[in-house]
Amino acid sequence: MNPQLEGADQLEGTYVFDLRVSNRTLRINRFFWRLTQADWRDRLLKDEASLMREAGLSDVERALVRDRDWLGLIRHGVNFFVLEKFARVVKRTNLEVYASMRGESLEEFLSTRRVPAAR
Amino acid sequence: MARIVGGIGTSHVPTIGVAYDKGKQEDPAWKPLFDGYKPVAAWLAEKEVDTLVFFYNDHCSAFFFDLYPIFSLGVGEHFNIADEGAGLRDLPPIRGDVQLQAHIAESLVNDEFDIATFQDRPLDHGCASPLPLLWPHRPDWPGTLVPIAVNVLQFPLPTARRCWKLGQAVRRAVESYPKDLRVAIVGTGGLSHQVHGERTGFNNEEWDHQFLHLLEHQPEKLTKMKHADYMRLGGAESVEQIMWLAMRGAMADRVRKVHQNYYLATTTAMTVAVYEEVGA
Repeated sequence: MNPQLEGADQLEGTYVFDLRVSNRTLRINRFFWRLTQADWRDRLLKDEASLMREAGLSDVERALVRDRDWLGLIRHGVNFFVLEKFARVVKRTNLEVYASMRGESLEEFLSTRRVPAAR
Repeated sequence: MARIVGGIGTSHVPTIGVAYDKGKQEDPAWKPLFDGYKPVAAWLAEKEVDTLVFFYNDHCSAFFFDLYPIFSLGVGEHFNIADEGAGLRDLPPIRGDVQLQAHIAESLVNDEFDIATFQDRPLDHGCASPLPLLWPHRPDWPGTLVPIAVNVLQFPLPTARRCWKLGQAVRRAVESYPKDLRVAIVGTGGLSHQVHGERTGFNNEEWDHQFLHLLEHQPEKLTKMKHADYMRLGGAESVEQIMWLAMRGAMADRVRKVHQNYYLATTTAMTVAVYEEVGA
């Protein structure tokens, strides 16, 4: 246990991304990370299913991606900062992803915010 | 001799870049944010700052988890701005000063601060979100950057205290550079926010203001906090505020905040603050 993280496991709805998680999920994180390259983006948009198979994603992972299960992907151990690259490619804003992770619609989420128009 | 003329703390929210590129400077929802940066840009111009040392974090644009350095200093005459999945932004490449960057790397390593270095890698919103609000950049940027990437993504992260010490070592590096340069230190990130899991959307304005107070007057207290403390108080991703401590560590013991803008619109408490050294 990393002493710097003592107590972090008490935080609800929070998933620590450490080397153990990163090692377990390197493949799917790399799959998302590669979306910084235009050719990988084009291939994803053309045939997402076969690109996932080529990248070696598991059945569970492929289902999470296919379902755009943002919270499920985070709980699986995907790092948010590669996940947001996927969101850009499939034309979801971060606010939409945030709402989804909270189990809310975008409008519901924005209604809890100070300046809902800042989108 | 190069000298430090002040410090800046700033959020690096990617949405700032998006709003900037869409020309939302006068949009009522965004105007309070953009207006808050105008005095900072004026301060940088007035102080005739040549170089910004930028403590930022890479969001898997220059590095991936297969090799993710704890601290890494960028070396190059130019840095491209990263494509983060939405294509390229209409900004000129960021300028660098190889002689200064190399000197700082040498000084840090000889000071037993074994920093990694990178070349030919892009800078992402960690730098490029606030930078256009700080500096005019048509046709080109008015100065150079020393980018110092800090791992705040994959635990183990450097401790708050280690970031503070990095700042102190960077001060020694800057002050031992023989050329007359005016340098400002920038710490980026925060303030309170969480962008993953069911706790997404967490904010804590009381803590944000306490953090700003402590950073100015009692930064040592912040160096003693654990990562879990930052996560609990400000949301998981607010742990990146340890990069503000690196900036503060590069400054004199006593500083004075000469400007602050705090704007919590949706998810992140977007904040910018300018510090000058007392007696300087």
